[in-house]
Amino acid sequence: MEAQPIEARALGKRYGAVVALKDLSLDVTAGEVFGFLGPNGAGKTTTIRILLGLIRPDGGEVRVLGRAPGGRGVAARAGIGFLPGDMAFWPSLSGAETLDFLARLAGRPATARERLLERLGLGAAELARHVRTYSDGMKQKLGLVQALQCEPRLALLDEPTKGLDPLVQQTFYEIVADLKAGGATVFLSSHVLPEVERVCDRVAMLRAGSVVSFGDVESLRRAERRRVIADFGADVDAASLAHFGDLVVAKPRHVELLVAQAALPALVARLGMLPLADVAIERPTLEEAFLEHYR
Amino acid sequence: MSAVRVLLEHHARLHRGALVPLAVGLALFEWMMTFVAGQPSVSRFLGEALRAAPPQFLALLNQDLLVGVSVRGIVGVGYAHPFALIMMAVWAVRVPCAVLAGEIGRGTMDIVASRPVARSSQVAAAAAALLAGLTVLAGAAWLGTLVGLTLRPLEGVSALRYLPVAAALWLTFACFGMVAILVSALSREAGTAIAWISGLLAGSYVLDYVARVWPRIASLRPASLFMYYEPQQVVSVGLARHDLGVQAAVGAAALLAAFVVFARRDL
Repeated sequence: MEAQPIEARALGKRYGAVVALKDLSLDVTAGEVFGFLGPNGAGKTTTIRILLGLIRPDGGEVRVLGRAPGGRGVAARAGIGFLPGDMAFWPSLSGAETLDFLARLAGRPATARERLLERLGLGAAELARHVRTYSDGMKQKLGLVQALQCEPRLALLDEPTKGLDPLVQQTFYEIVADLKAGGATVFLSSHVLPEVERVCDRVAMLRAGSVVSFGDVESLRRAERRRVIADFGADVDAASLAHFGDLVVAKPRHVELLVAQAALPALVARLGMLPLADVAIERPTLEEAFLEHYR
Repeated sequence: MSAVRVLLEHHARLHRGALVPLAVGLALFEWMMTFVAGQPSVSRFLGEALRAAPPQFLALLNQDLLVGVSVRGIVGVGYAHPFALIMMAVWAVRVPCAVLAGEIGRGTMDIVASRPVARSSQVAAAAAALLAGLTVLAGAAWLGTLVGLTLRPLEGVSALRYLPVAAALWLTFACFGMVAILVSALSREAGTAIAWISGLLAGSYVLDYVARVWPRIASLRPASLFMYYEPQQVVSVGLARHDLGVQAAVGAAALLAAFVVFARRDL
C-alpha cells in the first residue's frame, strides 16, 4: 500500500517568543492537489520546512511519504520535488549546470526536464547563461524545472507562480494538472486565491499557525454566507430583513445581505411578500471565504 | 554516485577560481625564496639584519636565529612567512564558511537539503573540499621550492627536506579549517562565520607571538595553534610527534563537533 504523502499531527513551532505553528494537523492524500492558504506570517513556509526536515517541530508528529523527515527519512526525500518561496541559486553556475547538479543530488534521472523546459520556454541559449543574468521570472521557471524534473511523487511548491507572466501561469496550471493525472501529489502554498480555486482539490486555511478551515474548495464555498442583492419597486423597511443575516447595504429600495445557506429559503419567501423588482444570490468566491476568516 | 562526491564536485566548481591564483602565488613565493637564499649578498644581508634584530622581531618571524641565517633556513622562512600563512588561511576560511553558513545565508541550502542528502554528507563534503584545496596549496608551495632548487641548486639544501614542512603547513591549516567548519556549522551567514574564524586565526597568531616575547603570559602559548607549527624546527629535526598529535586531535574534535551540531540544527 502506498504511503500517505503527508500526515501531520499537532505540530508546534516557536521562534523565541513568536508562535509560528500551534497544534497544526494535516492529511494530504495521494494524487490530490492540496492548497495551503494563509496571509504572510501564518506559518505556511514553516510548515513546508518542517515537512522537508529543514527545521524540527517543537512538538507533534509528521510523516512525509511514510517517513519522519530528517535523520532516517533522508531517503524519502528522493520522491519529493521542492520549490522554495524565495528561489535562490548559485549566480556563477549556468542554468544547465544548476539543473544537472540538483538532479544528481536527487539521485533520480531528470526524465521530465526536456518536456518542462520546452513548455516553460527555457531554451538552450538561456540554459547556457549564468543564473546571475536571469530575470526573476526566468529564475522562477528554472525553480519549477528543478523541482519537477525528476518526476517527484510529492511536489511541495511554495508560491509557484510568483513572478510568472499570465501565459506561463497558464502553462503552470497545465503542468499541475498533468502531475495530478500522472498520480503525483501536489502541495501548493499560495496567496493567489483564484489560482488555488482553479487547481486545488482541497484547501487548508491557516491563521496564526493554526488551521482555521479545511476541506474541498466547493464545501468551503458552501460553508460561507451568500450575498443576496434585492431591488424593490417601492420603499421597504430594510431593517425588517436584518434577522436573516448581516445587512451590508440598507436603502429603502436596495438591500444587500450576507445570509447563511440554511436561511436562504426563508429569506426568499419573505422577499416574495415584498414589492420585489429583482433579486440576485451570489455564491462566495474562495477569496471571500478567505477574507471572511481573516477579517 | 554518492552525495558527498556530487557535493565535492559542486564545491570545486564554485571555488576553483580562487584556488588557482592562491596556488600560483604560493608556488611563485616559495620559488622566490630559493632564489633569494641563493644570492650571497642577500643571505649575508639577511644574516646581519637578523643578528642585529631584537628578539621580539625574530619571535614575530617565528625564527630560530641559527637556522634562519643559513641558506637552508632562509628557504624555510618561506613556510613561516605571513604571505604563505595568509594564502593558506584564505582557503581554510573561505571554503568552510561558504559551503555551510554561506549556503544557508544565500538561501541555496534549502534546495540542497531538500534532496536526499544527509547532513553528515554536507559536513563531509565541506571537509573534503577543504583538505583537497589545502593539499593543492601545500603541494604548490613545495613544488615552488622543488623547481627553485632544481633550477638553481644550493649546496647542502635538498627539496625533500621541505616536504615535511609543507605537510606541517597543511596540517596546521587543516586544523584551522576544521575549526572553521564547526564555526560555519553554527552560523547562519558566511560573513559571521568569516569574522569569527578570522578573529580566531589572528588571535591565535598574536597570542603565539606575544607569549614568545612576554614571559608573563608564556604559559598561555599552548592555547595557540601556531605554537604547534615550527617550520625551522621541522627543517632541522623533522616533524614533532607532539605537535602533529595536538593538531590532529583538535582538528578531529572540531570536525566531530561540526557533524553533531549541523545534524541537530534548524537550517
